Amino acid sequence: MALKRYTRMEYGSPDEMVFGEAKYPVSYGLGQTVGAGMVVPEINFAPRPGAEKNPETLRREYVDYITKDILDRAITLGFPAVQLENEHIFQMVNDPEKFEKPVVAGQKELMQKYHDEYGIALSIRHTIADPRLAEEGLRPGMDKKHSYPEKTIEAFEVAAANGADLLSVETMGGKEVADYAILRQDVRGWLFGIGYLGSLDMEWIWPQIVEIAKKNKIRAGGDTNCAGANTSMFMAGGYLDKDIPRTFSAVTRAIASARTLVAWEAGATGPDKDCGYEGPILKSIAGKPTAQEGKNCQCAHADLMGNLIAQVCDLWSNESVEYHPEFGGSSVQCWLGSIGYEAALMNTAKQLKQDKLLRDMYMATDRYRCPEAFILAYDNAYKIGQAIVENGNDIYLRSKAAGMTAARLIEEENKAGKLKLSKHEQDMLRKIITDLSALPDEESKFVDQCLKAYKDIPMFNPKNYGL
Amino acid sequence: MLDLKSVNYDRVLRRYDIQMESKETPEELAGRMVPKDPLLKKIAEDVVFMRYKNVNDDVTAALKNFSPEDIIEQGLIKGMDVVGELYGRGIYYLPHVMVAADAMDRGVKLCESKMKGARETRGKVVMHVAEGDPHDIGKNIAAVLLKSNGYSVVDMGRDVAVSDVVATVESEKPQLVTGTALMTTTMSAFPKVAERLQEKGINIPFICAGGAVNRAYVESYPMGVYASKAIQGPTLANAAIGGADWRKLRENWDKLTAAKE
Repeated sequence: MALKRYTRMEYGSPDEMVFGEAKYPVSYGLGQTVGAGMVVPEINFAPRPGAEKNPETLRREYVDYITKDILDRAITLGFPAVQLENEHIFQMVNDPEKFEKPVVAGQKELMQKYHDEYGIALSIRHTIADPRLAEEGLRPGMDKKHSYPEKTIEAFEVAAANGADLLSVETMGGKEVADYAILRQDVRGWLFGIGYLGSLDMEWIWPQIVEIAKKNKIRAGGDTNCAGANTSMFMAGGYLDKDIPRTFSAVTRAIASARTLVAWEAGATGPDKDCGYEGPILKSIAGKPTAQEGKNCQCAHADLMGNLIAQVCDLWSNESVEYHPEFGGSSVQCWLGSIGYEAALMNTAKQLKQDKLLRDMYMATDRYRCPEAFILAYDNAYKIGQAIVENGNDIYLRSKAAGMTAARLIEEENKAGKLKLSKHEQDMLRKIITDLSALPDEESKFVDQCLKAYKDIPMFNPKNYGL
Repeated sequence: MLDLKSVNYDRVLRRYDIQMESKETPEELAGRMVPKDPLLKKIAEDVVFMRYKNVNDDVTAALKNFSPEDIIEQGLIKGMDVVGELYGRGIYYLPHVMVAADAMDRGVKLCESKMKGARETRGKVVMHVAEGDPHDIGKNIAAVLLKSNGYSVVDMGRDVAVSDVVATVESEKPQLVTGTALMTTTMSAFPKVAERLQEKGINIPFICAGGAVNRAYVESYPMGVYASKAIQGPTLANAAIGGADWRKLRENWDKLTAAKE
């Protein structure tokens, strides 16, 4: 299937974007519509260690405990719509018939019961695990040891046939190169790993996901560069962390957006995955709904843009929480309350026609907290989107343009004095601009250069990407 | 968009990282810590300032006056000690450590090629990522840090079966074994590894770390010692080599890791 590249922006200006509204809303599940005037809370969860002991213990954990707790709390608090997300664990992709099928079917059966009884709008995203290993082979027929590429596709089929409403995945393509590059602050290597190889990997897997979704009359949502840009963001961390400079993390986020877009180019409808902080850039380009997470996902991780990242979301998520008891109920109930009330605030603002004011307040609180927040502020996200569509037909050039635009935006704001940078962050920013400026203007030259420079990276095999 | 000019951002956030930025430079710190001998000093500085291309020439020059063992211990590892100190003080970032370690590794390989027998290391560590888990960046960082602190590393990679970990520990006889995992449902392999090792009569510290891993969980099974960051690996390894068993490491954990949080 041919990919439909984005070469123009779906929004005419940044100001047109706001939370709870997308140019192309999506309906699915049990009466759910996303991006049509309402923000929907999306609750995500992880089973306790040991729950994976056998298929029945896992089914009980996911269905009888987690899903039931969520649905009870949604009704208790009067939430009109809720989306669940099940991020599949390894066992569910390694043996889909035994571990995945009963969970997917059981969750949907219970959701149907609550939908029928209370009329609550419900949907569930199944995010298939991507256990593929670069050292064994990313494409079918290559991994003789585990057959992970084949199992991954099978897991999508099983989820789609047994109750999934929305399919997602956090693809890992190019991570072996990006991980090497991040530890050496090599922006060229990161661009090659995620902007180029990651895009190629998505071009292989996403048309298949879209086909599976179509066949089963459900939706293909979208991807996230959790494996790359979130690794950067978590390593850059907060003000006590010194693992990598936050200017590097910000630029990698911009590059990642050019890659994550591929899912939508392959025909996925959105909403994309919550942990893809590149969502505001994607939404500005494509007008499809985006799932985001921030201040109400502190159960999973801290970030420096907890409010800002709510600015244009359509689903508002807690990222993930391990199932366990809290004073206020189980962890999934407590965090559903947290995201559900935040969504209620956004939806009330929409009813009062104050949504753009609230959007700007979210954005303003974190705009200068770190460079990554700054480039994701919706006005800057839009500019990065423009840089991508100007080079929309070339996965290398658009990734490079996204990175360079982000770097220049940070540089200008730092000179203006509002966005403060540490000395090392400034040094790294200069190096990034120098390194990106030195890159060739042609994809073939870039690829030749990188295949030579990174040939000895452990686990990197060009055949995984058809190179 | 709202006009943000009136926002006093001092009332909204405080940049503690910039407030606490060290005024000391790498040159000043290195000046106090590197060896005095000019040949060894040059080698240590190659590591500290990541002069990868100079290492071979400077080590070759020093080999005329010093044994390969002395060059490793008094030049290359001394340089890495400075890098560790710079990282600990927040002057260097992790990529500096990784690139410096690459430079040191180059020098060590050259020295080893000139030795008659195998180099004596501080100890041996078997490392793996739990079965079903492909997330290995933390393990890779820890491996570099352990190697640059003089340990030999048997890196088993990622998605490693429990039985393979046990078999490798049995055959390699390391002083330490490590396991990392990002997810709650893959870290459950750790107690199984610990149990199987104990059945074989092996009782070494099993350092466990990773995204969902926490201290209470790791201390719930025998041999488990928690690490919250890769930089704590060499500290815990040094204590273990110095005679602390896994119980002692747990008892003294707060003290041992205080400076490396």
